[in-house]
Formats: sequence, structure tokens, C-alpha cells
Amino acid sequence: MVTLFKQPNIKFLKYKYFAFALSGLIILAGLLNITLGKGLKFGIDFTGGTFIRLKFREPITTEEIRARLTPKGLGNSIIQEIERGHKEYQIRTAGLIKRGEEKPEEIETHVVIGNMVVEALQKPEDAAQIAKGFKDLNSVDQKELINLLLPTFPEEAEEAAKKIIALRDEKGIIDTFEDLRQIGLKQEIIKYLQEKCFLGSLCVLSRETVGPQAGKELRRKAILATVWALIGMLVYIALRFKLAYGVAGVLTLAHDVLVTLSIYSFTDREINLPIIAAILTLVGYSINDTIVIFDRVRENLKILRKLPLEELMNISINQTLSRTVLTAGTTLVAVLFLFLFGGKVINDFAFTLLIGLIIGTYSSVYQSCPLVLYWHKIFQPKKRLK
Amino acid sequence: MKRSLGWRALLSLLVIGLSIFLVIPPKEKIRLGLDLKGGVHLALQVMTDDAVNIETDQAIARLQEQLKKKEIAFEKISKINPGHFRAEGIKIDDEGKIREILDDFFRDWNYSFSGQAVTLNLRPEVDRYIRDQAVNQALETIRNRIDQFGVAEPTIQRQGLAGERIIVELPGVENPERVKNIIRTTALLEFKLVKAGPAPDEETLLKEFGGEIPEDAEVVRGDPKRTSGGYYLVSKVAAITGKDLRTARRSVDEWNNPAVAFSLSPDGARRFEKVTSENIGKPLAIVLDGRVQSAPTIQDRISDSGIIHGRFTIEEAEDLALVLRAGALPASIRYLEERTVGPALGLDSIRKGLRAGIIALVVVMIFMVYYYRLSGINAVVALILNMIIIFGGLGYFRATLTLPGIAGIILTIGMAVDANILIFERIREELAAGKGVINSVAAGFSRAFRTILDSNLTTIIAAIFLFQFGTGPVKGFAVTLIIGILASMFTAVFVSRLIFDFILLKKKRPDRLSI
Repeated sequence: MVTLFKQPNIKFLKYKYFAFALSGLIILAGLLNITLGKGLKFGIDFTGGTFIRLKFREPITTEEIRARLTPKGLGNSIIQEIERGHKEYQIRTAGLIKRGEEKPEEIETHVVIGNMVVEALQKPEDAAQIAKGFKDLNSVDQKELINLLLPTFPEEAEEAAKKIIALRDEKGIIDTFEDLRQIGLKQEIIKYLQEKCFLGSLCVLSRETVGPQAGKELRRKAILATVWALIGMLVYIALRFKLAYGVAGVLTLAHDVLVTLSIYSFTDREINLPIIAAILTLVGYSINDTIVIFDRVRENLKILRKLPLEELMNISINQTLSRTVLTAGTTLVAVLFLFLFGGKVINDFAFTLLIGLIIGTYSSVYQSCPLVLYWHKIFQPKKRLK
Repeated sequence: MKRSLGWRALLSLLVIGLSIFLVIPPKEKIRLGLDLKGGVHLALQVMTDDAVNIETDQAIARLQEQLKKKEIAFEKISKINPGHFRAEGIKIDDEGKIREILDDFFRDWNYSFSGQAVTLNLRPEVDRYIRDQAVNQALETIRNRIDQFGVAEPTIQRQGLAGERIIVELPGVENPERVKNIIRTTALLEFKLVKAGPAPDEETLLKEFGGEIPEDAEVVRGDPKRTSGGYYLVSKVAAITGKDLRTARRSVDEWNNPAVAFSLSPDGARRFEKVTSENIGKPLAIVLDGRVQSAPTIQDRISDSGIIHGRFTIEEAEDLALVLRAGALPASIRYLEERTVGPALGLDSIRKGLRAGIIALVVVMIFMVYYYRLSGINAVVALILNMIIIFGGLGYFRATLTLPGIAGIILTIGMAVDANILIFERIREELAAGKGVINSVAAGFSRAFRTILDSNLTTIIAAIFLFQFGTGPVKGFAVTLIIGILASMFTAVFVSRLIFDFILLKKKRPDRLSI
């Protein structure tokens, strides 16, 4: 039998002051950073704005992108590289909300600004080619492509167009006409395309625009979701256990959220809707962990009647320790792979889950039981604790 | 125990079989979200004030008419804001007569007299009803337009029960500009007789009328894209409107330029014939959403069909015909959100998400077998079944799989084995306490069950609120999480127990358990 711990007897509650101090310190540093320092960086979901993901045909540096945006007054945009290789970038137009008064047509302004970003980053050759009537193979849609091929290749047009679009979807951008040869396109078609088309210097992978009104609404909903989830859990635990456990559980969760946000404030990551989802998930996970320990305390209260509560809690935590570590371990492994291999789009989300899981596990062991203990010390000093 | 084993096995097989049935073929049954498939997500707001405004304008016109008919003197009637207007300069003696009119013809309005004025307010419940109808009608119109535009599997729904927001999701559409215009055009089409114009500015236009706009006329501008711009003075009352159209389609005019051909309903045709026959030689303005598209001269009487020309491109003519067919919006629309995801990004996300998921699954499985030996295999079976049920559940609820949804499934992998771990650790404890194998297994399951129930239910509570307040991808995440937790309770508690019982039954002397 493989075992993680052979009858562990760690005095977890001995370290409660140390744990409180550690958490307090992190939260304090986070709050200071949020209020006075760099603060939390809210994404377009909450502030409104435009967010564009681009893939370039040729490598380009962040500085170069900024240099091209600056003449348009967009030099303060946030530019991040998605993948190494200097080809994929995400750009968020920043500080544009302050531009002019808040008009109802604001979202249109954002759309226009988004167009400006794309135009600024396209090479001047692209515009010249389009003006001459050439089609950009990196932005045509399937219908256009079929229409282009149909007169000369009536039989193969549809299949060829589908292959080309599939290649573009696969790679993100078509680098050279040479690529078309490799998907088995006939020489004549490639030659024809070379005459009628050109390969644009960039491809827009995704583009999101959120108006300020929607941002406000999404912010309101995120707060509502969190508050209601906490209340719902408080009520459930209070019903199944006791009020003290419900309050301690929810305080533990508030601790988790605060510590996560604090750590988040020291990174460059932006807070968007999926991050709120990740935080709520870790709330759900952490309470799961906490309840397993509370459940053991509840059970032990019936068996070990004589023991002081603090010691009883220690025993309970130790009894559930291997489960706590194993579950945290397997979940952590799953999320770690998501973090490492899930791709850039999901990376912030996975990062939040990752730190959240660690914090959630730590708080279940070091925060939840001491909180119940203090609740009893304050509100029921004389009663035998149950 | 043997008998109960039978029906439990049957139930398990039934659930698994149903799940497999629900998810095959996966390409058809599992709907991918826009973030995975690519497409356009739009959130828009119906400006319901417009609808209330129209109601208010109509009420003002009605009141004017009634007062004139009964020969009651008044100075003016003016709108204060939507759903709110006032008649001023009335005689105190006429109050009784006016009350009579208001009681008879303005049941939807509350009124109050103060001296020489009477103020009318739209009743709150009527106001609500008008706004609600406006949103419903807008929803219907947008649905019509998108159906005609031809998008596979669009989602068009109202956000919330009484919301004024509409969410439109169009998978596979890469260029949002055209669709956005089709949705947004109010498409209020009016044919109005031209009294003067086009003129470069209002002053020149109104010269022959002494600088004042005649009571039965109004000033409209030419659409800069379609005409040379300028101002027109047209009659207030439209000869016919878009409501009188029977069909509209893209066509060409006599110079072979793109145009929109229409035909009229019998009633509209009668009215149009009358107007055109009486005004041969005069120009008739074709006004779309308050902008003149063109103002051709009436050559002859026209009855049941005609043509709209302006400087259209083929696509513009096609789109205009489409929105005319689908009907006008009852209120204008404002965009709140617009998200476009290209298919390349989605493909990449699916690939990476799947890879992360499979690696996580394999590593967790290897660990479980290493740590719990043969019982670990039990957990692995439960985990695989769990995955099958999750996808079956997604298929059954026609839920949308989003990128955060994939993350939710990967998270579920980790959390699903939690139930197994809780149970196995309990069994180990019971065994260590010296209980027999059969008793240990039974005690392990029953004791761990309460813990599993409590802990999973609280997680579900959090997920429900995520579902309630989330949109799009976040909602997808909440759905997979809820299905995943429920599935894991079934597989880890019910199926896993079944496997234990089955194995223990086969053994002659079950005194050892590989755990």
C-alpha cells in the first residue's frame, strides 16, 4: 500500500497566528498595490474598448508595432506577444475612453479605432495592391475566393477554395504561395492566384469591442454573481452545519478571493469575465475542501467528546490530510497542464485557477478551523463547543 | 445483494448507453461556442424610448384632432418627454368637455388639470407593455432578417425576461460589418410627395414658403451616399409605407444599375395609384429611415409595383431588399458589444485544450492506479465513464462547449477523482481500524457520501450563480462544471460502488482488498 502520510500529527493550529499574519501581509500588500500602486488591470469586458489578436506574416517587434501606431495617436495601446516567434500579438487600445465626452455612439468610435489599428499595421504595399484590384488571400472569405476561381476553373474552384481556407485556418496566416503547393493545389491554379492575388502582411485572428455601457453592466453582474454565490454557500453551510461554520467558510472564501486578487495585482494580467469565472470556481473548490474538514470535525465532536476543540480540529485536519493533499494534487496537475499547454487564450484563466487552488487548499487547512475557533471564543465563551 | 446488483448494473449501463447515444456523432451533437468555431457575437439594445415616442406623437395628433372637432380652443400641445405631454392655453370652462374626451379616447393616459393646462402621462403598465412589445417585435424582425441573410444555426435571444437587450450569435460569419448594417437598419420606408427641393440648405428650400415650414410638410435630407445630398421639403403624410409592400427583391433599373424592385399589397396599390395619377409630372421622394434615397418624377400612374433606385452597389441593393421584406424595426438599435473570432484561433484553442485535457487525464489515471492499485483501476473506469456522461449531458441539454467549458472539463477531471479519493481514504481508515473488507467498503462509501454531497452541493451553488449572471463562454463553463459534478457523483459513488460489490461477490473469501 502506497501511503502519503503514516499517521500524521502536525500541529496545524499552532501556526494559526503565523498563517493569519502571512495572509494579512499578502492582502495588505495587494490592497496597497491596488489603491496606490499599479493596481488591478481591468480588461475591455469591464472598461470597454477594443481588443485585437493579429498574426503577421513576417516577424515584427513590439517596439515596431508601437512605432507604427504612435502617429495615429494609438501609441499607448497595450501590446503583448502571444507566441514566441514574434508573429502573433494581441493589442488593446488603451486610455481611449477618456478621449472626448462619452457619446452614446461610443462603441462605433471603438470600432473605428479598431480599424485604425489594423490599417496602421498593414504594410503600405497591401493598400497599394488592393487599390490595384488584387485580392488579399489572407482575408478573403470562401465565397469570394470561389467567385474568383469559378470563371477559369469551373470544376475545381470550390474544392480549391475550401483547401486554401482550411490551410489559412490551420496556420493562422498563409506565408508564401509555396504553401499552396503542399496542400496539393494544381500548378495552374497557383499561378492564376499569383496573378490575381497577393498575400497580405497580417491576418486578424479575433476582434472584440465592448461599449462602455455593456462594460458597466458586466461589472454589475460579476459582482452580483460573486455576492450571491457567497450568500448561497453561507446559507447552505449554516443549515447543514452551524452558523459559525458558515461564517468561517465564507470568511475563508473572502480570504481566497482577496489573496488571489492581491497576487493578480502584481502581474500584468488583465481581469476579464473568464477571470471572474475562474475566481468563482476556486471559491467553489475551496469551500469543497473546507467542508471536508468541517465534516470531519462534526463527526469527531460526537466521538471525542472530552477533547478541547483546538486539539480536536488538529486531529480532524490530520485525518483528512492525505485526502486534502491528494485531491489538491490531482486537480493541480490537471490545471497545471492547462496552464502549460492550453494556449495563450486560456492562459490567464488557467493561471488564476492555479494560484487559486494553492491558496484554497492552504486556507482550508490554516484559516477555516481557526476562524471557527475564534467565533466560539467571541460569541460562546462558556458553552461547550459543538 | 445479488438482486440489487442486477438493477444497479442495469441502471448504470442505461445511463452510459444513453450518454453514448446522445453524443454520437459528436460533430453534430456537441455545439461549439463562437470562441471555438469562429463567428460574430453581438449584444444590442433596443431603444424602446422610440416606441413610446411614437405612441406619444400619435396621442398628440389625436388630441389635436378631437379638440378641433369639438371646437375647443387651445394654444398649443407640446411633448415634454416620451410618454408625457401637455396641452396649454385652454379655457377653464372647457375643462368638463376635455375631461369627457380624455375619458373616452385616452384610456391609456393619466391626466391632471392645473389652471389653463392639462398634462397627460402614459400609464406605467401601458408604458411597460409598449416597451416589451417593441423588444419582442425587434427580436422577431431581426430573426427574420438573419434567416433571410442565411446564417446556419444563429442564436437570437432576449437577455433576461424583461430586458431590453438582444444577443445575436452568428457562427461562421467572419465579416460583421454587413450583418451589423442589416440588423441595425430600421428600414422604415416611406413614399412622400416632394413640395420643394433639393436645395443646398434649408433657407433656400423654404424661400417660397416665407421661411416657414408649411403645416402639412417636413424637411428631410438626402442620403449622402445615394443622392447629391441637399434638403427636400416633403409632405408629412406618406403615400405608402414599407407596411404596404408585399415583396421586395434586388433588380436593375433601366440603365442596368442595381436597384430594388417591389410590389404592393392590394390596399397599398389602390392608394398608390390614386396618389400617382393625381400627381403625374411631380417628384416623389423615397425616404428610408428619414433620408431621401431618390426622388424620381412620376411618369405615369403606378399601381401595384415599382422600383427604388439610388446609387446602390449590388450588395447594398440586396441588403435593402432583404430588410424591406423582413419588415421595419419598431425602435432603433444601439450596439453594446461586438466580438468576432476567426476560425484559426478557435481551431488552435481546441487543439491546445484537447492536448492539455488528455495529458491531465492520463497523468491523473496513472497516479490513481499507482496509489490505489486495483481500486485505482476502479477509479479510472469511473473517470472515463464520467467523461462520457459529461459529453452525453452536453449533447442532451444542447449546451454549447466553449473554451472555458473545456477548462471546466479539465478541472472536473481533477475534482472527479476527489470523490474516489475521499471514499478510498475512508475505506483504508476502516481497514486500518480492523474491520472486515466488506464492512470497510460499506462504511467507507456511506460515511464519505455525506461529505461528498455537502462539498459538491456547495460547489454547484457557486456554479448556478455563474450560470445565472454569466454570458457566452462563462455560461458554457458553468454548464460543464455543473454537469461534471453531477456526473462525478454518479460515477464515483454509484458506479464505483457497484464495481466493488461485484468484485467482492465474485471472491470466495474476500479478506483482502487491493487499495
